[in-house]
Amino acid sequence: MKLKILAAAFLLAALPAFPQGPSQWALVQSTLTYHVSSPIHQVDGVSHAAKGKGVCEAGQCNFLVAAPVKSFQSGDSNRDLHMIEATRGAANPMVVVRAHFPEAQIKSSTIYAGLQVQFAGQTAHYAHVPFQVKTQGNEMRITGTVPSTCSDFRFQRPSFFGMSINNDIPVHVDATWRNMKKK
Amino acid sequence: MNLKGARRAVAAGGMVLVLLFPQFSRAQSSAKVPEKTPAKQTPASSSSSVPNAPTPAAQEPSLQDLGFSQQQMQANPKLQARLNRRTRMLKIHQRLGLITLAPMVADLFTGPMAKAKGRNGQIIREPTSANIDMHAALGSATAALYFTTAYYAMFAPRIPGVKKRGAIRMHEALAWIHGPGMILTPILGAMAFKQEQDGEKVHGIASAHGAVAATTALAYGAAIIAVAWPIHLKFWEKR
Repeated sequence: MKLKILAAAFLLAALPAFPQGPSQWALVQSTLTYHVSSPIHQVDGVSHAAKGKGVCEAGQCNFLVAAPVKSFQSGDSNRDLHMIEATRGAANPMVVVRAHFPEAQIKSSTIYAGLQVQFAGQTAHYAHVPFQVKTQGNEMRITGTVPSTCSDFRFQRPSFFGMSINNDIPVHVDATWRNMKKK
Repeated sequence: MNLKGARRAVAAGGMVLVLLFPQFSRAQSSAKVPEKTPAKQTPASSSSSVPNAPTPAAQEPSLQDLGFSQQQMQANPKLQARLNRRTRMLKIHQRLGLITLAPMVADLFTGPMAKAKGRNGQIIREPTSANIDMHAALGSATAALYFTTAYYAMFAPRIPGVKKRGAIRMHEALAWIHGPGMILTPILGAMAFKQEQDGEKVHGIASAHGAVAATTALAYGAAIIAVAWPIHLKFWEKR
C-alpha cells in the first residue's frame, strides 16, 4: 500500500514538469533596425511596425514576425523610397521572418534559432542565429542580429555618387514577446 | 500489494504519461543547445536540407494571423513600376548634376578673363574674343546641362502619400536660389556683353552678373552637399 501511495505521489509530483500543451506568444513591442554602410555613409533604417506570433508545441517553437517594407524609416524620405525600389518593396511589400528553435531554449539566456527570411521576393535561410533572451514575468525580450546581405536577396546594391553600399545589411532585432495563454 | 505489483503500477503510469504527453521525450532531447557559431545559408528553394530550418508544424503561425490588412500585404506592381521609373530618372538627375558642376566651376574661373579691365580715365583692356567665346560656351554648356538635370528631377514620378523628410528638403529648398540664378546669370551675361560691345562700361543690373553667378554656383554646390549629408568618410574600411 505504501508503495502504491509512493508511486501515485511520484506521478503527481512529476506532472507539472511536463509541457502543458501548446503555448502562444504575441509580439508586443519591437524595433527592427537595418544598417547600411558605404564609403561615405552610415545609415540605419528603423521599423516599429512589426507584428508577430509564436507557438511552442511538442518541444519546438515556431515564431513568425512580419513588417511592411515601407515601414522602415532612415530619416530621409528620398532614401527610403529608393530602398523600397531597390528591394522591390512594392511588389513584395512584407518582410517575413520565421524562426524555429527548441522550446527549452526560452528558459536559457541564448536562443539559437533557424531563420527563414522572405524579403525582396527571395527566401534566405540562416542557421543557428544567436538571440539574447531576458525573461521578466510572462514577457521575454529577445535581441540579436540577423546577418543578412544584399546578395542573399539578389537585389542590386544601391549606389550614391557612383559608390555602391556594402553587401552586408545586418538587421538588429529587439522584440518583446508576451506569453498569452496556454491552450 | 507486493513489490512486483508496485513496479507494474509505476511502469503503467509511466506509459500512460508518455502516451498523454508525447512531446515530453522530444522536449528533453531537444533541450541540448547547439553551441555553434552562426552559419548562414544561401537562399534556397527548399528548407528541408537546411539544418535547424523551420519545419512545418501543425501550430505554425501564418501571416494571416498577424492582423495586417490586405492592402498592406498586397503587391502593387504599378507602384513598383512607378518607383523604378522614379529611380531611373533620379539616377540620371544625379549623374548629370555632377557633370554640370564641371563646366559651372570652369565658367566661374573664365569669367574674369572675359571682362574688360581698367578704370575710368585709363586704357581699357578688352578681353580677347577667344576668352569671351570660351566663357560663353562654358556658360551655354552649364545652362543646357543644368536644365536637363532639372528636368529629370521635376518630371520624376511623385509617390503619393509620402511626406518629405531629411536632406531632400534642403536640397529642394536650395533650388529656389540656384534655379532663378541659372535663369538670371546668362541674361545678365548677355546684357554685360552687349554693353561692352557698345563700348560702354558694364552698368546697371548687368554689373551683378558675376555676383549672381557666384551665388548660383554656391547654392548649387550646397544642394549637392546637402543631399549627401552627413558624410562619413571611411574609405579605409574593408568593404
